[in-house]
Amino acid sequence: MTFEEHKEFPVDSASLKDIRTFAREVLAKHEIFSSTSDDVVLATAEAAQNIVKHAYSGEPTGDTMRVEISFKENQLKIDLYDKGKPAIPKNIKPRQIDDIKPGGLGTFFIGQIMDEVIFKTSASHDWVNHLILTKNY
Amino acid sequence: MSYKITEEGNVSTVHLDGEIDMDVTEKAKEVIMPLIEAGKEVHLNLKEVQYMDSSGISVLIESHQKAMELGTKVILKEISKSVLKVIMMAKLEQILIIE
Repeated sequence: MTFEEHKEFPVDSASLKDIRTFAREVLAKHEIFSSTSDDVVLATAEAAQNIVKHAYSGEPTGDTMRVEISFKENQLKIDLYDKGKPAIPKNIKPRQIDDIKPGGLGTFFIGQIMDEVIFKTSASHDWVNHLILTKNY
Repeated sequence: MSYKITEEGNVSTVHLDGEIDMDVTEKAKEVIMPLIEAGKEVHLNLKEVQYMDSSGISVLIESHQKAMELGTKVILKEISKSVLKVIMMAKLEQILIIE
């Protein structure tokens, strides 16, 4: 099985619900994701939230972000693209396991759910940041 | 997200409903924090919360910490399966008060 679906969303916290709906609908088409769908939807939404929160510092913008969901050779890949501030990968850290405070949790969840997380900057002429989340099936 | 508050003695129960993400965390805090600051014991009923992300979990942590600081407590009640899964993923089931 291979597929690829993508959609662009306004960079806004109000888009998070639409992003979850998009991811849920794509994953629901394939039985293989039935037991992990909720987790993958959470990871996707957390990554999108980080774009709103960090790449744009929560500031209003007319920009969009692109979410691509694809599957090939038993690997699910979620690609997120944005035009915000370039991410500095070494600064993106999950919280420590025994650190009981808000913040860093989203990145921690993504790491728990997905098998690999890759940050790229200068992704293309159209985008600045490119985050790739993969999960093997 | 929608909510309903019931009062019984010094206990305020907040029944939350819907999906709790970054878009509604400020609203959630505006509902919960004044109750804690008023010295109430706050029960958060999460039976009807179908989705909670890290922002929602942060509200639970902040509420818990604020309550501890002020000598009261926040108790999570009837947690939905999906929210409990996220609380456990955050490894907070031993930190937050769950009944």
